Amino acid sequence: MNAASHGEFRIGSESDIVAARKVVRNAATALGFGITDVTRIVTAASELTRNIYHYARSGVMRWRAISRDARLGLELTFEDSGPGIPDVAKAMEAGFTTSKGLGLGLPGAKRLMDEMTVRSQVGKGTTVEVRKWLRK
Amino acid sequence: MAVENISVIKLRNLLLVTVPPDPDDQTISALQEQVLQAMAQHECRGLVLDISTVETLDSFFARTIAETVQMVGLMGGRTVLAGMRASVAVTATQLGLTMGKALTALDVDRALELLDSAPSGDGV
Repeated sequence: MNAASHGEFRIGSESDIVAARKVVRNAATALGFGITDVTRIVTAASELTRNIYHYARSGVMRWRAISRDARLGLELTFEDSGPGIPDVAKAMEAGFTTSKGLGLGLPGAKRLMDEMTVRSQVGKGTTVEVRKWLRK
Repeated sequence: MAVENISVIKLRNLLLVTVPPDPDDQTISALQEQVLQAMAQHECRGLVLDISTVETLDSFFARTIAETVQMVGLMGGRTVLAGMRASVAVTATQLGLTMGKALTALDVDRALELLDSAPSGDGV
């Protein structure tokens, strides 16, 4: 098996949501995450990839293995040049949505992951970074 | 992009649908359409969605399933979600998903038992 420690995946169509899930599933499994954490990470990735497809139409997902204090983890970055989020705090509230979704994408992904940062500029784009650490 | 094939099986007065492991949005929407057509065509009183192979249940999937449950309910049928994996149940709960008024069962066998004993056509 090719034990790559990072990778990149372009998002540009609806079918890329499923394809991105596969990329993340392989990366998380290779890093040693258990089935429940793999499912959490893949589901968070699905929400964030769908956000890119719905709001920005296209973007990129990057993943890399990370370590901190002898702990290993997985970092996923979702970047787009879409419309941006005017009020990030509002977007983090469960149930808030500007599309016909459930409004669970960002807050849901945050609950499934250990860390999340959202940077967004209206008219410039959005970058969402999430991390999950392997349990010792 | 090809929509995955979904077979809707009529079993006595019920419908049985096996949801593919990693369906895309189009496949999930197609599933809903096929189920509603089959409900009308066969005058079924219930639907069993076998989700035992499903690995990822995200908010779009959940919303479409919840909608389907409601639509089937309006047509006088009950829906049972059968076989949700433990990892999926944990994730769905943390994500904040609700599956509407769906009944749930550990597997298809128990789902059929449940529908046999449930009163039919009492709405959602």
